[in-house]
Amino acid sequence: MQFTSGIVEQAVEALSSFPGIGKRTALRLVMYLLKRPEMEVAHLADALLKLKTELHLCEVCGNVSDHKRCHVCVNPNRSEEVICVVEDFSDLMAIESTAQFKGKYHVLGGLISPMDGVGPDDLNIASLLGRLENSLVGEVMMALSATVEGDTTMFYLAKKLKPMGVTITCIARGIAVGGEIEYADEVTLGRSIAQRTEYLL
Amino acid sequence: MYLQRLQLFNFKNHSQRSLEFCDGINTLTGANGVGKTNILDAVHYLANAKSYFNGIDSQIIEHDKTFFTVKGQFEGELPAEILIQFEGGKKTIKKNDKAYPRLLDHIGMIQTVFITPYDIDLVLGNSEDRRRFVDLSLCQIDKAYLQNLSTYKKALEQRNALLKTMQGRYIDPDLLSSYDAKLIPAGILIHQRRKEFIEHILTFFTTVYQNLSSGSETPSIQYDSPLNNGDFATLLADTHRIDMAAQRTSVGIHKDDLIFGLGEFPLKKYGSQGQIKSFIIALKLAQYNYFQAVTKNHPILLLDDIFEKIDEERAQRLIDMVGASGYGQILITDTHSSRVETHFQPIDANKLHHHL
Repeated sequence: MQFTSGIVEQAVEALSSFPGIGKRTALRLVMYLLKRPEMEVAHLADALLKLKTELHLCEVCGNVSDHKRCHVCVNPNRSEEVICVVEDFSDLMAIESTAQFKGKYHVLGGLISPMDGVGPDDLNIASLLGRLENSLVGEVMMALSATVEGDTTMFYLAKKLKPMGVTITCIARGIAVGGEIEYADEVTLGRSIAQRTEYLL
Repeated sequence: MYLQRLQLFNFKNHSQRSLEFCDGINTLTGANGVGKTNILDAVHYLANAKSYFNGIDSQIIEHDKTFFTVKGQFEGELPAEILIQFEGGKKTIKKNDKAYPRLLDHIGMIQTVFITPYDIDLVLGNSEDRRRFVDLSLCQIDKAYLQNLSTYKKALEQRNALLKTMQGRYIDPDLLSSYDAKLIPAGILIHQRRKEFIEHILTFFTTVYQNLSSGSETPSIQYDSPLNNGDFATLLADTHRIDMAAQRTSVGIHKDDLIFGLGEFPLKKYGSQGQIKSFIIALKLAQYNYFQAVTKNHPILLLDDIFEKIDEERAQRLIDMVGASGYGQILITDTHSSRVETHFQPIDANKLHHHL
């Protein structure tokens, strides 16, 4: 790509470092921004900057928050007895939108993956163990991805949580709602059969 | 099921190529370097979603191009068009214009058996080449095997990365065993299936070998695995310290090997050229027979330059043997048109000839 302006080039370079955005898409975004009013662009720049300057990670659970503690942790109506462990705050948002979970969260900030240089010490694991000491928590529910990394992280956590005397659960895996059995993969289907539940009328 | 039409774009040295095949014997002739073997490899690619020779997809793209596609029209009980595309590091497979959610879902639809001069590595190469033969045999017909092998490889890669980054320092046993927990069930299943596979092919293999070599020596295949010596969970737990020091996982099905022998002697050391060639062909025909027994269909047989490199007499016997159960589709390459014609003259099957 041949640039006639250093400023445009700089903006394209910066945008194309985003995941899923190549040079061509970055150029389209730059051309779009050039046509927008200055106020709108300033607002965008401000919103981006605030992510770094004003956003907090909740000191209790690691969730993103505008304050020192997130809205779930300060909510007196949420149960203290169950903690749901998630990989990232986007997973927390997904679970919140089900409106099925009334307990509190713990955000790990990733999964154990030595290939990517991520070990247990790089994640919010120590703070989770700390939260359980002298607490009302009776259950830790693990809601992690069904990948090799998710499974090994769950196994490691379970090993560390077991001596603390809490019930350890993991969310069920099986056929998607609206999914047809003949199109389900063998591993998922096999697991669904092994972990079948009583049909309640 | 047979391949009726093959279309290639930027696949190795084929910028653009379209070929029709019949359900019987298809011969491909042409000078060295025109890309005959690459056409067979493209058929293998359609079945297995990878090259027989090169595991790195980006290297299959023709020089200076950015993508390749392989398209195959299969006819038979369930006609289907398979399209595999590789671009920008991403592979997609479509069946009748519909993309599979996962690549694994495609494998198993078509079985291929490839016989090429490079197979000499099966005997002379390292254990990885022999594991690849077993994996290729099982993955094409057994989804559970394929899934577990993929899980095992991922967990092993992570476990080895962990051992490597710790550079011999102490590792929390809870962390190491979280990988063991993934390796154990997958490893046990793979070990079991590999053992059954070898047991299954052994009788047929022995008959074929003796028929090919017209010799009296008894060939043997022994499945060598660390898992033969005990419970995988115990083996892994017992080697934690050794693994930390060695910075890699020292026991598991990734250490499996096949030990080939003739009478009392190891084939690799004492086998003659001819004996080794017969051994390899017998292995491949056992694979063909295994696919047939399991799927009740003929796999597609890909014969690469067998008259030149393997010798004419063995090649002729091979063809006779394949035909004993009725011929499925065969694709065969040779540099000499007249030679293949002579060999296939007596055979009563549909024939098609392409000169590239």
